[in-house]
Amino acid sequence: MMIPKTFARQALPIAIALTLPMTAVADADYDALKRQVEQLQQQLLQVQEALKQQDLKFTHIEETTITRDEAIALEQKVNAASEWRDPNTLIHMSGYADVGYVDGDNQDGSFVAGSFSPIFHFQYKDLVMMEAELEYEIEEDGETETNLEYMTIDWFVNDYATLVGGKFLSPIGQFRQNLHPSWINKLPSAPPGFGHDGAAPTSELGVQLRGGFPLGKMRSNYAIYLGNGPELIAEFEDGEFELDGIDAEAKGFDNDGEQVWGGRFAILPFAGLEIGVSAATGKATVTSIEVGGHDGEEEDEHDADEEAGAPELHDEEARDYDVFGVDGVFHYKAFTLRGEYVKSKVGKATTGATASASGDWESWYTQASFLIPNSKFEAVVRYTDFDTPHDSADQEQWSVGVNYLFSSNFIGKIAYELNDGEKDSTTDDDRWMIQLAYGF
Amino acid sequence: MKISTYSNAALSARTLLLFSLLLPLVGNASDRPESGDYSTGAKVWVENCGRCHNIRDARELRDDQWFTSVFHMRIRAGLTGQETRDTLAFLTASNMPHRESIFAKKGVSAEVAGKADGQAIYNQTCIACHGSNGKGTLPGAPDFTSSDGPLAKSDDVLIKNITYGFQGPGSPMAMPAKGGNTDLSDADIGALLAYIREQFGR
Repeated sequence: MMIPKTFARQALPIAIALTLPMTAVADADYDALKRQVEQLQQQLLQVQEALKQQDLKFTHIEETTITRDEAIALEQKVNAASEWRDPNTLIHMSGYADVGYVDGDNQDGSFVAGSFSPIFHFQYKDLVMMEAELEYEIEEDGETETNLEYMTIDWFVNDYATLVGGKFLSPIGQFRQNLHPSWINKLPSAPPGFGHDGAAPTSELGVQLRGGFPLGKMRSNYAIYLGNGPELIAEFEDGEFELDGIDAEAKGFDNDGEQVWGGRFAILPFAGLEIGVSAATGKATVTSIEVGGHDGEEEDEHDADEEAGAPELHDEEARDYDVFGVDGVFHYKAFTLRGEYVKSKVGKATTGATASASGDWESWYTQASFLIPNSKFEAVVRYTDFDTPHDSADQEQWSVGVNYLFSSNFIGKIAYELNDGEKDSTTDDDRWMIQLAYGF
Repeated sequence: MKISTYSNAALSARTLLLFSLLLPLVGNASDRPESGDYSTGAKVWVENCGRCHNIRDARELRDDQWFTSVFHMRIRAGLTGQETRDTLAFLTASNMPHRESIFAKKGVSAEVAGKADGQAIYNQTCIACHGSNGKGTLPGAPDFTSSDGPLAKSDDVLIKNITYGFQGPGSPMAMPAKGGNTDLSDADIGALLAYIREQFGR
């Protein structure tokens, strides 16, 4: 059947007209779909970025975190760590220093620098130690004096013996070897007779064996030494010689060729009590002469004449030299009582230019101290009696002091000394002393 | 003025005698010190130092500084090698501060004593300074028997003082953390405090 052309001409526009709205609807769906796809693409990018960040975070966590077990092991390592625990060679400096003020009856009050005494320790394992103490002091004229107080090499032979070689503090008694440092000495001054040129030997150059061992339930300690020994000083006055003093500071060389040996033995029946006995014996010779009994500044024409007329040393006889001492300390809580006695005896000489009679130097002190409970104040009292062959050097002394312990090793001291010696001499001057001492 | 003269030194027979006495002693030096016992060391520390000078704080120096200082004192005080090692054990333990583990359980009290032996701990760790009667053996050590003494404080305060160390007013030295015995556990400290309260408390 043939469709008439007229109908076709009419129907075509109608069909087109009918499909046009449908076409419009299809375009709208497409746009919406396109927007949805674009949104999805955007979200996908965001998810991908988030995943990327998450991966980075996980990687960072894996790199920077540890397990609990690892943390505990690390903590234990940190707690046990110590850089200084195991070196074979150790170097250490300690020492003490003091400054003060002194005001005596017959001398103007003056600040004094005291001394600075660094102590050096060099130690290799538990086998050997070198220890040395220097002493710097400012003299009255402003010059600085330097001394090697001691220098020893200590070989720890075994648990009960140490061999000490070099210049060492005299093991006779307690004061010189253990109590003279200013932060330990409870008074600003040394007891007369126990300082330099006193009754007690100060130092020796030689060898020493020392240590400690148990005696049943008691403890003990000992020191035995052999050294160059002291030398003697003779005084030439009014045409005659007499013994002036014992130069008991260690000599760098044994000028008189006479050695001395001695030692100390102490027992500790219980923890707070130590009793020691000391002795030394040997020979000593006069090696120098003091003219007129004055030092250089006080020499006058009379001394100069005497010096010119003083005979020179020749054929000096080695004299007997003997030392005996006892010491003790009782310590209970805040109370300490200590005492020490020493006697140095020099025999007579019948030959040589300085042939003269014998002489004894003798000193003893006793000291009590008490740390007042729940305070930092400490009270101290000490009595000393020093006797020599010369009245001018004899001295009796009471010393009373109060200390303030800023810490165990930083101490402020104020003390008053009542001295009884030869009238109008320094040994008779009462004096106030203030001292700050620091042990480091 | 001094006029000096010189003569030659001679090696005396006494020198040879002294060295001959040394021969049997040679060869016994140990390589490294063996570990000492800290509680014996605390006793040696308290009993020996105070005879000559004020007792210094056990935490005053580093371990290496204590090492040389104690060997120096071995010579001065006539200590044996074992006493030296014991003292070093005490001092190095005193230098170990108590470090609270981040994994430690909190809230420890005297009740955690458990089966720990407070008396044994006291006799081992505390008795050197605090004494068998609790009255103290050295200046600054408090009197546990005093009604206004340390035991007047609460358990929490005392446990903290024992754990971390404490220095009382007027005392020249501080008690180190755990008395220098770093092995003490919380239970040990609780048992220790319970024993101290029972034995010395008023």
